[in-house]
Amino acid sequence: MTPVVNTTAPAAGAKPAVGQIVLGTACTIHEAQALRAHLLEKAAHPGPYEIDGGGVEQIDTAGLQLVVAFALDCLERNVHYVWKARSPVLEEAIRVLGVAPLLESPGASMFGGAA
Amino acid sequence: MTLDLAQFHDTFFEESFEALDSMEAALLKLSAGDVDAELINTIFRVAHSIKGGSATFGFTDVAAFTHTLETLLDQLRAGKRQVSPGLVDVLLRSCDLMREMLEATKHKRPQDTGRVSALHAEIDAIMKSAGDAAPAGAKPAAPVAAPARAASAEPERSGWRVHFVPGSKLLRNGNDPLRILRELQTLGPCTIRVDAKYVPPLAELDAEECRLAWNAELSGDVHEDQIRAVFDWVEGECELLLEAFGPVAGSKAAPTPVAPPTTPAPAPADVAPVAIPSAIANAAAAAPAAAAAAPAEASRATNAGEGGSIRVSIEKIDELLNSVGELVITQSVLSQLAAPLEGAEELRSALGQLERHMRALQESVMRVRMLPISFVFNRFPRLVRDLGQRLGKKIELRVIGDQTELDKTVLEKIGDPLVHLVRNSIDHGIESPEARLAAGKSAHGSIELNAYHKGGNVVVEVSDDGGGLKRDKILAKARERGLVGPDEELTDERAYNLIFAPGFSTADVVSDVSGRGVGMDVVKRNINELGGHVQIHSTPGKGSMVRIRLPLTLAILDGQLARVGNEVYVVPIVSIVETMQVRKELVNSIASKGEVFRLRDEYLPIVRLYELFGIQPDHTELLDGLMMIVEADGKRVGLFVDELMSQQQVVIKSLETNFRPVTGLAGATMLGDGRVALILDIPGVITRFQMKETRRDAAQRAA
Repeated sequence: MTPVVNTTAPAAGAKPAVGQIVLGTACTIHEAQALRAHLLEKAAHPGPYEIDGGGVEQIDTAGLQLVVAFALDCLERNVHYVWKARSPVLEEAIRVLGVAPLLESPGASMFGGAA
Repeated sequence: MTLDLAQFHDTFFEESFEALDSMEAALLKLSAGDVDAELINTIFRVAHSIKGGSATFGFTDVAAFTHTLETLLDQLRAGKRQVSPGLVDVLLRSCDLMREMLEATKHKRPQDTGRVSALHAEIDAIMKSAGDAAPAGAKPAAPVAAPARAASAEPERSGWRVHFVPGSKLLRNGNDPLRILRELQTLGPCTIRVDAKYVPPLAELDAEECRLAWNAELSGDVHEDQIRAVFDWVEGECELLLEAFGPVAGSKAAPTPVAPPTTPAPAPADVAPVAIPSAIANAAAAAPAAAAAAPAEASRATNAGEGGSIRVSIEKIDELLNSVGELVITQSVLSQLAAPLEGAEELRSALGQLERHMRALQESVMRVRMLPISFVFNRFPRLVRDLGQRLGKKIELRVIGDQTELDKTVLEKIGDPLVHLVRNSIDHGIESPEARLAAGKSAHGSIELNAYHKGGNVVVEVSDDGGGLKRDKILAKARERGLVGPDEELTDERAYNLIFAPGFSTADVVSDVSGRGVGMDVVKRNINELGGHVQIHSTPGKGSMVRIRLPLTLAILDGQLARVGNEVYVVPIVSIVETMQVRKELVNSIASKGEVFRLRDEYLPIVRLYELFGIQPDHTELLDGLMMIVEADGKRVGLFVDELMSQQQVVIKSLETNFRPVTGLAGATMLGDGRVALILDIPGVITRFQMKETRRDAAQRAA
C-alpha cells in the first residue's frame, strides 16, 4: 500500500500556500520507510503544511512516531502545520499513545484549528 | 526492511501449548469449588497472551475465539459471574479447542469451523445470560477499590506508576506499544504521558526503531500481575518500572525493572498529560475489593524464577552429554594407564581430582536433561475428572512428588503406561459410589500418584482404594487360557503378574475405557524397554498399587561386568535376579527346552553366552564358571559366563548409530582400559537364544 497517496498542492485561495501531506490508508511499520522518505521530501519545502490524516485506516507506533518526528521538526524550525482531517483510527492512536500535545502546531490557529 | 514474524512462530506455539496446560490445571482446581482470584488471573493471562500473540502473527481465527473467551473470563475476574461446574466444563472445552486450533494453525490445516462456531455461540449465550452474582465470600479476581474508600466522598487514589521505555528492537520484533498501552488502559482509569525527548530529527530517525517512551498512571487496586501480563510479550525488550502509589503502596512491590532497554531511559516526561477514559473504569470502580498485595508478590516471585531460564534444543544437550561421556572414558583410560606407574603419586592425585570433577560435570549435564514428572502427572486431573464423570464414579486424585525429576526421554515414554494404569484404576479398581457405600467406604474413591527417588532410580506408584485385584478370578481366567496348569499354585505376586500377559482381561464388560486385555502387557513391555520394573500389590477390598521402578536416565546404565573369554559384557543390574554356581546334578536336558537347570521349584534354560555370540570361552563346564539368573518380560534364564568383574556405571553408546542394530545387544561402552564392552539387552538375548534353539530343533528333526 502507498503510504502517502496525494501530494498535490492545494488550490490557490485565501489561505496561505501550504505543502499538502496526505497520509495513506496504511501507516504501519511495513510502510514506515516510504512514509519517512515522503515526509522528508515534504520537509524540504519551506511550509507551512496541511496534513490530511482523514484516510488513515491502519496505523501503529512506527507510523505515528514518524508523524511526531515531523511535527517536532516543524516546531524546531518554527514552521506551522495544520491538520486537515484525522480519521477515527488516527485519533484513537494519538489518544492511546498520548502524543496529542506533540501534534498541536503553534500555528494551527491561523488555519482555524485542527480537525 | 521486512520483518519475518514466521521466525517466532515455533516459540509462540510451544509457549502457547505450555500455557494451555497451565490453564487446564488451573481450571481443574477451580472445579473444586474454591474460587481463587489467582487461579482466575492465571487462566485469564493465558487467554490474554494467546490472543495477543495470535493477533500479532495474524492467526485471526485463534485471536477471535480467544477474544470471546477472554471477555467471559473477564466477567469471572471482575466477580460478575459465578464459577459453576457447567462453566468450568465450557472453559475446559475451550481450552481443548484452542489447542486444536493452534495445532491446525501450526500445521497449516483448516480449522474445524463447525466446532469453533458452536463453542463460540455457547460462550456468547453464557455471556448474554444474567451473570450469577458471585457467592458470598467469593473474591473477584481483580478487585479495584476497597468498599470503605468507594463509599467515601473523595476516595484517596491508589494505583501504579508505569514507566515504559521500549528497546530499540521492539518494533522490529513485531511488538507495538500502541497495542500494549491500549490494553493497559483497559485495566482502569489511566493517564499517559509520552516522552519524546529521545526522538531525533526525522532525517536521523530509524523508521523501525522506537524512540518514544511513556509514563502512565493507572488508578485503582490493580494487581501488579495484571499490569505485567500486558507487557508479557515485550519482556526483555523494554525497561519497565512499576511503582505503587496511594494508601496501600507500602505493601506493594517496589519499582522493579523487567530488563534494561537498549536505549537510555528518558527522564520523567515534561509533556502535558492526556487523560484516558477507560472502558471498564466504572465497572471496576464499583467492584468490591480486597486485592491483597501478597498474592501479586508471590506470583511475581514465581515469575522471577521463570525469568532465569533459557530454551535449548535437546540435540544440543545430547551433543554436550555425548562429549562429556567421551571425556569420562578418556579420564578412565588415563587413570588405568597411571595406576601401574611408580613414583607418580602426584599424577594419580591429579587424576583422582579430575575424576571427581568429571563426575560432577557429568551429573550436572545429566540434570539438564531432567524434567519434573509433573509434565506427565499434569494430564491426570483432567483424565480422572472426565472418566470419573463418564462412569458415574466420584474420584479424588492425589498427586505426591510431582517435582521428582527424571530424564526427558524416560519421561516421554512413561506417559502412556501411566495413562493405562490410571484408566484401569478408574474403570476396574474404584467401585461405583453405591458399591463403595455398601462396602462401608466413602462414596468418593481415591487414586494416588506418587513419585520419588530411591537408590538411583525413580519410583512411581499408582494406587487406588478400590476393590483390589480378584486373585481367584485372575487364576481361573489364566487356567482357562492355559497360562497356568490346573493344579499349579502361584504366589500372590506371580498371580497378580498374570494381568500383564498379552490379551489377558478379567473384565466382564469390555468398555472403551479398558477391559479388552490390551494395555497392561504394553505397560509392562514399555517399562521393561526403559530398563524399569513393575510390581503389583493388592489387598482385596482395600485397593491396589502398581509400583514402577525406572532408571533416572537412559544415557547411563548401572551394569555388572561379566567376562567370557577375552570379551567383557555389561549386564544391566536391573535385569539380574541372582548369581550362583550350578552343580552338574541340577542340570537336565529337556527335549523341547534344551539344557535347563533346577532353581528351587522351577527349571530355567541355560544360555551359554559363548555359544550365542560365537566366541572362545575359558570354561565350558558349568561348575567352572558362573550362572547369572536374569529376567525379562516375565521370563528367567541362566546366563553362563566365565567370571564376574566389577559393577560400574557405563555411558551407553548406540550400536544402531555407530554400527547396526544387533539382537541381544543394547549398545556398547568403553571401559577404563580402553576396551569396548558390549551391553546386553536381556529381552533380546532371550529372543536370540529361543531362535537358536528353534533352529537347532528343526535341524535335529530334519536329520
